[in-house]
Amino acid sequence: MRTYILRRLLQIVPTVLAITFVVFVMMRSVPGDPVVSLLGDAYTEEDAIKAREAYGLNKPIVIQYLIWLGKLVQGDWGASILTGRPVLQDVLIRLPVTLELIVLSMGVALAIALPAAIIGALRQNTWADYTATSVAMIGVSIPEFFIGVLLLLLFSIGLGGLLPSSGWVYLPGTCPTMVCGSSLWGNMQHVLMPAIALGVGRAAILTRLLRSSMLEVIRTEYVTTARAKGLSERPIIFKHALKNALIPTVTVMGLQVGFLIGGAIVVETLFAMPGLGTFGIDAIIARDYQQVQGFALLTALAFVVMNFLVDMTYTFLDPRIRYA
Amino acid sequence: MADGGDALPTKSRPIRGGSLGEADLPVATGVAWGARARPAESPFVQGLRRLRRSAAALVGAGIVIILLFVAIFADVLAPQSPIASDQTHTFERPSWDYPLGTDQLGRDMLSRVIHGTRISLLVGVSSVLLALFVGVPFGLIAGFYGGRVDTVIMRVMDLILAFPIYLLAIILMVIFTPTAGLIGTMKVTGAIAIVRIPIYARLVRGSVLSIKEKEYIEACRALGVRDPWILFGHVLPNCLAPIIVTTTIGIATSIIVEATLSFLGLGTQPPTPSWGWDLKANVSFIQANAWLSLFPGLAIFITVLGFNLFGDGLRDALDPRLK
Repeated sequence: MRTYILRRLLQIVPTVLAITFVVFVMMRSVPGDPVVSLLGDAYTEEDAIKAREAYGLNKPIVIQYLIWLGKLVQGDWGASILTGRPVLQDVLIRLPVTLELIVLSMGVALAIALPAAIIGALRQNTWADYTATSVAMIGVSIPEFFIGVLLLLLFSIGLGGLLPSSGWVYLPGTCPTMVCGSSLWGNMQHVLMPAIALGVGRAAILTRLLRSSMLEVIRTEYVTTARAKGLSERPIIFKHALKNALIPTVTVMGLQVGFLIGGAIVVETLFAMPGLGTFGIDAIIARDYQQVQGFALLTALAFVVMNFLVDMTYTFLDPRIRYA
Repeated sequence: MADGGDALPTKSRPIRGGSLGEADLPVATGVAWGARARPAESPFVQGLRRLRRSAAALVGAGIVIILLFVAIFADVLAPQSPIASDQTHTFERPSWDYPLGTDQLGRDMLSRVIHGTRISLLVGVSSVLLALFVGVPFGLIAGFYGGRVDTVIMRVMDLILAFPIYLLAIILMVIFTPTAGLIGTMKVTGAIAIVRIPIYARLVRGSVLSIKEKEYIEACRALGVRDPWILFGHVLPNCLAPIIVTTTIGIATSIIVEATLSFLGLGTQPPTPSWGWDLKANVSFIQANAWLSLFPGLAIFITVLGFNLFGDGLRDALDPRLK
């Protein structure tokens, strides 16, 4: 097991390197020159050459990447070409916002999906099942930003501004600088709509998946055996059926991280949240190479680490799965 | 989700006599007593029969057909030009003249929503077809030949898959530089297709790995049939069911990705009508003109729902094991 974990951890390194390298090359093939935006109206050819030299942009791409990597292993994520601010500092300010959004949206997803899927599977072909599956079908068909707009219409406009339509208040203890205000109530007000907008789609996918796995599991012989030996329904469902039905669901939850990152970009843009999503999209559009690299690195890490954790969860859900 | 329908005849009578296994066989495979005289139905016809019984699939197919009709005849159906602005009629509320109101430039929202169907369907369908045309041959070759070819193709596919889908699509769109009109639409199509190629390559490779071990493929080889004919004439038709299902549901996903890119300002650029862009542009005026964001959003939702319902029905009908 220990060897397996070590091997998997080592596999993370080439994947992250590959993703960051491809992003590095792709960003440099974007038409336009960030030095032009940096210098603005004061652009002269002489200053442009100096700026390119200062940021190492005149070197071959592979050398530029190796320089970036060399600095990275020393803890230096580089500095934004446009603002001059250290990328790591910007990322750390924005990380808690996106982390909170993603964790809460997964919470929303599970809070909806678990009961809906269990009820749907146990009462197959009843009105409860039809409701759960129909709502799930609607859920997978609505993009996050439209759910966000509907929530805005309901809570920010319809109910007289019950919830704020944009901005952010940090959760106490997560504010990385002295300047940002934090309050639990304010934070909850700001995060509720984005978390629901991002969570509903995931809830729908998980409900569909978990319901069909539950349907398969409750027809297996070990569930019949559990019933035959007189076990009450609750431990049968939660201890025997649900745990096994969760295995494919957990895999999909891991794969959903890629979509969650995209969803976070959209939801943060809609609700004007100062998270990593808005940071990433702004950096990509402005062609701020260093900021994009920071964003890509973090995204790649989140993606591979999540998939690693998914593999580890299997051993908990099904003790027969042992990694040699 | 309504079930795809049970193809087993309820009144079928098992064969009497013989071993228990024989007696069970007709019931298990759904062949009714007396059906022996008729020629066996192909799996495709059986699938169609199951599809016809699924109410949800029929609703989905209905939505898709209506949308196709709207997209093809958008010029005739739209009461006004989707790009002509009229400064004297900005932010009109829904009325008889403007059934869905007008936007900040006085453009008729109904006409924009109708024309938006074109972009959405065009990108949704063509990006999936493009991904199919590239991904399927790669998957066939990787699965059929194995070895180094397989390793090289699949490592490249894995690299694309390792990217969070939106990160790759967004960067590709920035490289392609979003523009308006047909060229702009083709750029979005290309970006979404690249992201989706590995999905089809993986899917087909998986099916090919099991199909190539079958005896009929061995027979083809023994008869001296050339590889391309074996691949496209014998292997491909046998992995069509999962491809068709993934394609239909893939169109729904592509439509959402296109709308999302447009929402982020990276899709087809204005004045070309695009639902995602219209929704984003009108969110700024949501306080006073709530309906403006509502209609493009509803259009995206109904389109995606149509393809999802139809795709689900197809999956149940063509491959009940995938349920």
